[in-house]
Amino acid sequence: MGDFVAHTEQAAGEFDTAAASSVTSAEGRVHLPGDVHMWVMVLGDLIIFGAYFIIFMVFRARNPQEFLASEQHLNINIGVLNTLVLLASSWFIARSVQAARADDHAQALRLTYFGGLCGVGFIAIKAYEWSAKITQGYTISSNDFFMFYYMLTGVHLFHVSLGLLILGITVRELRNPRRRRPFMVEAGATYWHMVDLLWIVIFALVYVMR
Amino acid sequence: MTTTAARTTTYAWIVLSAITIVSWWLAPGHAHGATAVASVPITVAVIVLAFIKGRLIIQYFMEVRTAPRWLKLFTDAWLTILWAGVLAIYLY
Repeated sequence: MGDFVAHTEQAAGEFDTAAASSVTSAEGRVHLPGDVHMWVMVLGDLIIFGAYFIIFMVFRARNPQEFLASEQHLNINIGVLNTLVLLASSWFIARSVQAARADDHAQALRLTYFGGLCGVGFIAIKAYEWSAKITQGYTISSNDFFMFYYMLTGVHLFHVSLGLLILGITVRELRNPRRRRPFMVEAGATYWHMVDLLWIVIFALVYVMR
Repeated sequence: MTTTAARTTTYAWIVLSAITIVSWWLAPGHAHGATAVASVPITVAVIVLAFIKGRLIIQYFMEVRTAPRWLKLFTDAWLTILWAGVLAIYLY
């Protein structure tokens, strides 16, 4: 408990009070969401993407003017919309885990569907963005910036698809009254939030920084 | 019975979305006609905001705030090394 309080110093204090008094956050005890296998996969992915982000920065530092000029051709409205859609999906999935813990499986299922729907929306927006860029003549071979833009968003999109598949497993779990294992719902959510976390980094590096 | 946990999740989501909208305003993408110029203060702000967003997702969505210590240390180390590395390369 002391450990829990000590490690929540960052954001707003009221989050902590709310979490501490909550019966659904594993009674405030130390709890690994999902299972260790999912975390090994997620942390491995974070390291690989982390290396990729650093390589992007090294290339950017060699030619900052070209990267910045190319970045200007991206549509920031689309980038922000994509981010908001993915954040909303993460909210649905986080709430779904809480509903599943409270044994409200119908609600957990509904929330998972909404989360997945946002994921599909993310893919649709990305497909629109890519086709608009290609129509404007910006392709993977245009320059280093667009090479990274297509590679980073492409590899990320693959992870979104994989995330949707994993949410499908969550749905199967929640629909079967004999299954409904909380750790399975948590593991699916952990993967989904990682997809969100990686997008936050791509958004900052590719769309926003100057 | 999920009200307090639900409220915590919603607060985190609101802060994340608000920071995203602030980022829209910082981005160079809508400097119509004018060529965007590099800006150290804006980039530092972007890095700090992205660090905060990442930590909110890890702590409140991935529920690392109640996870074992090794996971808290690993995720904080990942965030710190990544963003410190990005900043160092940008400033170099």
